[in-house]
Order: sequence, then structure tokens, then C-alpha cells
Amino acid sequence: MKAAILIATLMSPLAVAGQCNMNTGFTQANYKVTTGTITNKQHTESIFTLWRTPHQVAKQNPQFIELWQELRNQQIRPIRYFQEAQRGIEYQPSEVQGKQDWSSKYQLVSDKLLASMTHQKSTGEGCELVEYYTKQQGESKIELSWLANQKLLKSIRISSPRYSREIVLTASNHNQQKVKAQFAEWDNYQTTDYADIGDNENDPFLAKMINQGFVEHGASGFYDAQGNQLQGSHKHHH
Amino acid sequence: MATTMKKLNLISLAVVVALTGCSDDDDNSPKTLTVENTLAVGSEQCVNGGTETLTGTDSNDNGTLDSAEVTDTTLSCNAPATTLTAAQLAPLTDNDWFKEAQVKVATSEENIAAVAKDSGKAKNVILFVGDGMGISTVTAARIMAGQLEGKLGEEHQLSFEALPFSGFAKTYNVDAQTPDSAGTMTAMASGVKTDAGVIGVDEDIERGNCATVAGNELVTATELAEIAGKSTGIVSTARITHATPAATYAKSADRNWEDVSDMPETAVTAGCEDIASQLVNFEANLEARYAGLNVDGLEVVMGGGRRHFLPKDAAFNSADAVSSVEGDRTDGRDLTAEWKAKYPAGQYVMDQAGFDAINADTTERVFGLFNESHMQYEADRANDVAGEPSLSEMTAKAIDVLDNNDNGFFLTVEAGRIDHAHHAGNAYNALSDTVELSKAVQVALDKTSIEDTLIIVTADHSHVFTIAGYPKRGNPILGKVVPVGSDEPSLAADNMPYTTVGYTNGGGFRDLGDETDADAGYNFAPVTGRVDLTDVDTTTPGFHQEAVVPLGSETHAAEDVGVYAVGPGAHLVTGTNEQSLIFHVMDYAADLVKQADAKLAQ
Repeated sequence: MKAAILIATLMSPLAVAGQCNMNTGFTQANYKVTTGTITNKQHTESIFTLWRTPHQVAKQNPQFIELWQELRNQQIRPIRYFQEAQRGIEYQPSEVQGKQDWSSKYQLVSDKLLASMTHQKSTGEGCELVEYYTKQQGESKIELSWLANQKLLKSIRISSPRYSREIVLTASNHNQQKVKAQFAEWDNYQTTDYADIGDNENDPFLAKMINQGFVEHGASGFYDAQGNQLQGSHKHHH
Repeated sequence: MATTMKKLNLISLAVVVALTGCSDDDDNSPKTLTVENTLAVGSEQCVNGGTETLTGTDSNDNGTLDSAEVTDTTLSCNAPATTLTAAQLAPLTDNDWFKEAQVKVATSEENIAAVAKDSGKAKNVILFVGDGMGISTVTAARIMAGQLEGKLGEEHQLSFEALPFSGFAKTYNVDAQTPDSAGTMTAMASGVKTDAGVIGVDEDIERGNCATVAGNELVTATELAEIAGKSTGIVSTARITHATPAATYAKSADRNWEDVSDMPETAVTAGCEDIASQLVNFEANLEARYAGLNVDGLEVVMGGGRRHFLPKDAAFNSADAVSSVEGDRTDGRDLTAEWKAKYPAGQYVMDQAGFDAINADTTERVFGLFNESHMQYEADRANDVAGEPSLSEMTAKAIDVLDNNDNGFFLTVEAGRIDHAHHAGNAYNALSDTVELSKAVQVALDKTSIEDTLIIVTADHSHVFTIAGYPKRGNPILGKVVPVGSDEPSLAADNMPYTTVGYTNGGGFRDLGDETDADAGYNFAPVTGRVDLTDVDTTTPGFHQEAVVPLGSETHAAEDVGVYAVGPGAHLVTGTNEQSLIFHVMDYAADLVKQADAKLAQ
């Protein structure tokens, strides 16, 4: 019932506290990720930037960018760009319908996860309307703040007695020109079809791929309906 | 003679015991006895059997020639048999393996007698290339195809394995022990071995250097057939600008110059033409090379690779684009529009519906680009956005269009994605695409006559794909090794089961279940070491086999590949030869050079 109410809330323009007149279809959002282990009091920090156009989303890490394109048939097509080499690897769209959730990539958290959480309160209005949600899942607790009218994650914290992970929005803008320019820059990188890598051992960049494999997925910052971290564009299932 | 009790025990089998000598009852002197033993075939004394005669004195007067009493032994061995009776041969002649082989020998004799051995007897030539289809791939695909038909599998034959003539091709490139498709297909298409990575040019080329192309271009069998007035066609499940199909029509210092955006600026300004542009300009380029030549261009071009023919502009996206901007061309050219303008009577198609609508009897020419990049794996084809034809469907349509020319046709058909599935370490898709190639060859056999059509089936190179262990007969080819007499998988020294098929190198284990796209496996780092497969269904489409050496992508292999042939001139496909021989067999069979020369002399 809560989920149904939340979906209705997300869908209904009357329910949101005022409108946001910014062009939220184009977004640059900077995030800081802090991961901590409670037992030995260690923590690590990293940053990434989320870039969005209406049908593309990219997660820019310091070394590489993972970009997803939403196709007309709702398939999701991944591309991985390598900033320093200015090269890209193009992948086929996910071909198993329903296997991937566009919202989990576009918003960092899926609509399903949001719908499964308990709304605690709302503050602000218009573009700055922030909704606060929580969810307890076994020993883990998820606390999330959501810029509802920008469809943008403000923060998420997942904590357990031994481990915590927090992603916090540090800056954002909706500068359409800048966002378009960034996607255009990546689009101009030389790309190679994933299937052709094996035939290009003479290309130093691709030879490195052949000999050392692909960059392993780090913490992606993407979460599914259970609050589980997603490990990339294809879920490795056993 | 050293006579032992053991030998006398054998002698007790004697069939004849003769007493000779004095029979006077009053004479008490010892009697002389003679014993004749029949020796069986295979005996130590006489390999063909015979008689052993023992002679001696019955000293103890017991009426029997004891071993100690033998004083002389003679052997009379049978002469070797010069004939065998039907009864003797029955264990062979009643055996099905024996009978089948005898029929095969007789059939082979007929094939050798019947094949048109004179040059120029082939009106049509079809060259099938399974990209990466090494011998182990053919064997495993044969077993898979048989098992899909409910057989044990090993006894099955792919369509092209039944062709009457076969041999081996050495695949190395001039500069590489383990080859790539560009160099190997150039060898097959032009009859000249060359370097890895270059298309339609000889070994004097410097890869990637546009300036070294001029003067090193090679003529191809497709071009010769075109000049000779035959219809010409190219079909591939890879991008039609990919190395193998490109080697039939293009000259390029680099296999990757598929469109202008893939080329260095210096190469563009120096006047080198990208591969897609060369395809659309095939007719004009060929006519420019030979004074006074007038040809009508390629009649059939079908494959993937639309992105290399369209401008980098979303406005040119087609219905099954998988990129936000489908086209890659940065020169603004729409080569599909250029093709339509050159050939207004031709049909440009990009999906299954367009393909199905082609009336092959009335269609002059077809340009089909069914995918932005490579076409789908056969097992994955149903997932294509707009739908696309299978290799066998394209082969059928191509022949139906090409055979409208009374002068005959030259067609190249590539199963381009066997190679890609192997690179991804996914045997399921490699074998499925090989089975589809077998279907395509059968279509060609059904639609043509061996009287006037030479069909050659081969591979450009192999892969490090192995069939190993001691699985029992009929064991699922993609399954774990289950030994003879057991229902439980064999365990390796690490106490874990292992699969029959595997790779020497590559990405190694992935278990992607029902994922039919082999390339999904690239999303994971190589898996090193062994994985416990006890609870894994290794026969699923998404299973990627274990690999010994961890690499991001599995590699080609250097061993020879098979060449299979039928039709006029097919008898020349025999023995182990340089891969470039294939061109010369086709040329001999269809007199391509001679006919082209005659045309140019007109």
C-alpha cells in the first residue's frame, strides 16, 4: 500500500510541492562515495559524476566512463569509454527483456527501490523539494534523500553493524550545453565493437584489453530494488 | 630337441597317433612310434598351421611316445592362404562400419571418375568461409548437430563434410605464424599470401600506410568474375566491411578502415578510400582500373555494418538502430542513398520484412544491411530489433538473384560470427553458427548442380578450441566429461569435473545461463584457475568454457584448416597446401583470368 501511494506520489504533478522549472532532462551531478568498515575503522573515499540527457546516462569515474543509452524498444545499450586513451568499447544492447532497469542507471536508485521504502518527511519545494525515505532490511538500514522534482539522488546511506556506504551529491547543474558537449566529446572517441577486440591484437590499446582483460567494475553506486549494489550492465548470475 | 611336459600336453591334442615298426609279438625289442599333431593357424611353429611329426622309441614299452622318448621332430607348415572364404570374411563383411566404408570407397571412385577435370567447366563458383572454423570446431559442430537430431552425434556429417574432395590449407600470413582474417581471405580471394591486417594488397604493403597501397593492389576472384560478365555477390553475417568480405572487393592498408572516421586524416588526404565507400564504388573503381571496361557491379551484397554507410547524424538512424546515432561517417555521405542513385532498379533492404519482400526472379540486385554492426548470432537472431534473415536464408536469396545471369555467378558467403563467439570463449554460439553454415551449404547444394557449379567450403583460420578428456560415446558435446561406463562426471586432479570442450586461452569461465549473446561475457574480467562446475549446467547458451591462459579475448590458432569441395575442378582440393591455392582452384574451374582477359581484349 505504501508502495502504491509512493508511486502515485511520484507520478502525480499535484502531489509534488510546486514545480521545478529547470531543464532537468540534462544533468551533471557530482557525488562522493564513502565506504567504511566499522570493525577496523577504515574508510575509503571516491568520486564520480553522473551525466544525463533524456535517453542517455553516463557514470564518469576517474579512469573510465560507463554510458548507457535507452533505445526505442527499451533495450539498454552500454558503451565504456576510457578517458586517457580517448577510446571506447561498444556493447550490444541487453537482449533479455526486463533484465535491466533503466531507472536504476538513470537515477542511481531504481523506482522499485524507492517504492519499497518508507517515506519519512519532505522539505523544501520546487526544484529543492527533498523527500526522505528509510528501509530496514535485516541488519542493514537504508536512508535515502531524494530531489523529487529533479529525479536526482541527494544521498543514500546503507549501514550495517560491520559496514557502511554513503553516496552524497556534492554539486549539480542542468546546463544543457555543457552536458551535450560532454556527451559529444565521448562520442568522438574512437570506438571498437566488443566483438572485434579479439581481431585487433596489433592495436596497443586493444592488445592491452586482450592481454589483461577489461577494467573490473569498481563500486558502481547503482542499487537495485533490494538495495544491492549492481555490478555493471550485465548481472552475473549463477 | 628340448621337449617339455608342457609341450607334450599340447601334443595330447594330436589327432593322429600312428604306431609303426615291427609288430612281431615275440620280439621284445622296443617299438618305434610316430605321432602326428595338427598345428592350428597362428601356432608358434607354423603361423598358417600345418603338421608336426614326432618320432621315437617306446623305451618303457607303455605304447605311448613320452616326451623323453622323442628323438626326431619334423614340421610340415601350410603355405600361406591365397583366398579367404566368405565364412572367414563374414566378421568383416557383416560389420556395418566395414560395409559403409566399402560403399564410400566405391562412391569415391565414382566421384573421381565423374568430376569434370578440365579447366573452365564451372559456370558458377560459391566460396563458403566459416570465419575461425578450425577442425575442432567442425568436429564439435558435427556432434552438436547430430545430437540436436537425436543421434549420438559423433557419426553425424555436416553438409560440407559429405563433399567428395577435401584437403588442408596452411593459414599463416607472410608476417605472422598465427594469422588474421584479412591476410588469409586475401590469400583465398586473390591467390597471393600477404601480411596480417591488410586487405587486397600484397606483402609489400606497410600496414596503416596509405602511400604503400598504390602498386601493390591485387585483383580478386570477384573482380575477375565481374569482368568476365558473371553476376557477383557477397554475403556475410559480419559487417560487410569486415576483413573477410572486404577482401573480395577492397584494397586497404588497414582492415579497420571500414569508414572514413576510422582512418587517419593523413590517409584520407592522401587519397585512400574507406572500405564501405569502395563497396559502393566497386563498379566505378573496377572500370577505372581497366581501360574500356564496362561492368554492371555487384548484384548481391548482404550483411551487417550499416553504421559505416550512414552519416554520423541521428536523422539517418534506421528502425533497428542500437546507438543514439547509428551512422559513423564523418564526411556526411549517405552511401545507401548513393547506392540507390547508382542502381535505381536495385532494392536496398535493412530488415527481415524487406528481405522477405524481395522477389528474386525479378530483382536485378540487392543491397541488404541488416544490422548497425555485425548481424546477430544465429541463436540470438530472434532478439534483433527489426528482425534479420539467417545465413541460409541469405544464401538462398543470393543464389536466386544471381542465377538470373546465363553467364553464371561468383558468390562468397561468410559465416562471420563463429570467430566472434570463439573470441568470447562461448562454444555454444560458435557451434550453432557452424551448424547454420552447414545449412547454408546444403541450400547451395540443393539450388545448384555439381555439373556446372564449384562449391568450396573452408575457414580462414582456426581457434584455440579443444575437444578433450575421455567422454563416452554420445556424451553431450557441451557437457562435462562422463567416462565410458559411467553416469558421473570424471574428476580432475583438483577433484572437480571438467568440460569436454574448452579453450587454451581467453576470458574463461562465465555462467550466463540462457544468455544467447556470446559477447555478454566480455563484461567480466578473465577468470583464472579452475572453477567448480559440479552444479553448473555447462550446456546452456550462456556458458563460457574454462581457459588455461587468462586473456581478455580468446585468440586465433595456427594449425591448418579443412577445405571441402564439390563440382568441376574440385579434385584439385587435395593434400596440404598454401591457402592461396583456393583462388587458383576457383580460377582453374571457372577460367576466371582467361575469361576476364578475353573480355578486356574485346
